[in-house]
Amino acid sequence: MESSLFSKPRDLFIDVVNARDYVQIDSVSHMYQSLKTSVQKPLKMILLYGRPGTGKSMLLHKLHHDLSKHQKVCMIDIPIIDEDDFLRVLAQKIYSYASREALTLTRFLELSSAVNFPVIPIILLDEAQLYSATLMEKIRLISDARALKFVITLHKTDNEDIIAKEHFQTRIWESIELQNASHEELKIYIQKKLLKANCFDVANMINENNIKLISKLTRGNYRESNKLMFALFSLYTWYEEHNPSKIKYNSLSKKYIEMAAIHTGLINA
Amino acid sequence: MLDISKLERRWLKYKIKGMLPYAAILAVIIMSIITFSFLMFNKTSTIPIITSKKEGIKIKNPVPTPSINDESSMLLEPSMQFLHSMSGSTPLIESIHTAPVPVVPIKTAPPLPQVQTETLPPIAKPLQAPVVKGKLTSIKRDDTAFDIHELEDRFKNNSNPNLGLYIARYHYDHANYTESYNYALKTNSINATMDESWLIFAKSLVRLGKEDQAKKTLQLYISNSNSQNAKNYLDTLNKESSK
Repeated sequence: MESSLFSKPRDLFIDVVNARDYVQIDSVSHMYQSLKTSVQKPLKMILLYGRPGTGKSMLLHKLHHDLSKHQKVCMIDIPIIDEDDFLRVLAQKIYSYASREALTLTRFLELSSAVNFPVIPIILLDEAQLYSATLMEKIRLISDARALKFVITLHKTDNEDIIAKEHFQTRIWESIELQNASHEELKIYIQKKLLKANCFDVANMINENNIKLISKLTRGNYRESNKLMFALFSLYTWYEEHNPSKIKYNSLSKKYIEMAAIHTGLINA
Repeated sequence: MLDISKLERRWLKYKIKGMLPYAAILAVIIMSIITFSFLMFNKTSTIPIITSKKEGIKIKNPVPTPSINDESSMLLEPSMQFLHSMSGSTPLIESIHTAPVPVVPIKTAPPLPQVQTETLPPIAKPLQAPVVKGKLTSIKRDDTAFDIHELEDRFKNNSNPNLGLYIARYHYDHANYTESYNYALKTNSINATMDESWLIFAKSLVRLGKEDQAKKTLQLYISNSNSQNAKNYLDTLNKESSK
């Protein structure tokens, strides 16, 4: 398995959020730069939103990775639904205040005023749509007191326009929307990922038609693309092991891409 | 984890399902052609009767009219007298007046072939494709995000022929033929068995106006590798130069 040409590319597309796997693409890096500049401004809340799989979590992790070298940054990627727990975790991570008792908002604000940071600490909240309205209200009060600065990510769905939500409409100072990749961006994303891992021969196999088909199937969604590529290279690994004569090394087979799409549920067959 | 045989079956089913609309359209087209040709055949079998009469008379009237005309010329005068005397025989007059009406269906018969000739020009209309081509070229975005220089640096360090081929292809696609020539040359010197690299090398030479050199290179490569792709490209070059 290790000697397979396709096992390494396959593992590259495992859908894991890791700042080191961040692939720089024109539009995304532009978003990232604007996010970084927004963070430097005296804004209280910054919203990052978009459909699932558009790279919100990845961007948040990248921001955490880059900012944590210079200032206090706390990343909460798994939502803490319980309000008391939320404040307690924040107090512990930011102010190193450990307490087994429930922490009230007033106590938390007292703590924050007692500790002075050269730069306001940043809290990165992923999947913020899971937080309750009352907890969001507390987050607003904390940010209004300029104790902490929040960068939150939200899913944008067809049913509800998140921006219109009461809490976010008036509190958000800057909002950045992430979108699916264009055909050209997806091409760069896939090829950069392969080239970064020195998979040149596999990168050479991917032609324009392959990218068009992948883009059509996944609609430029990064998560779907990762899933599809993972399934595709799993198929190739299998064929290479069991039926190598079926593999053409000059381009990716349309049939295998479609089979991978069937396997991942992108094609309903 | 992957059930390949099941996946292949599902893929086959998907392909068949995908082909169904085309098959249906094709069936409809074939059916319409058959019915159309059948109708045409029927019409052409009736047309000779009409045309023979046309030739003879050269008036619009169809088959029954001559006999009616003959009868009207013979029967009108006595019937009119009969009407004057009896009264209430208007239906007969109507039937006489309606007799010329069948002229109308004859008028419709000749335009049929004209309709066919009129339908032909729209087939030529889809030649407006250049507009789409223009759009396609405008869609092409800049690939500035792709850091080719970084790859070039990596190629300098690791001399990986696959990476060299990738860079050569990238430059060729972006019309940097000098660069594609250089990288294909480097790639060939590292690995002389890469078909595509030799082709990019030859194609770059052609683009740089050195067609003779490209041919010589291809001949040399063919003599060593017997590559079919190189042969095909050399053939096309020879054909183009002979023109």
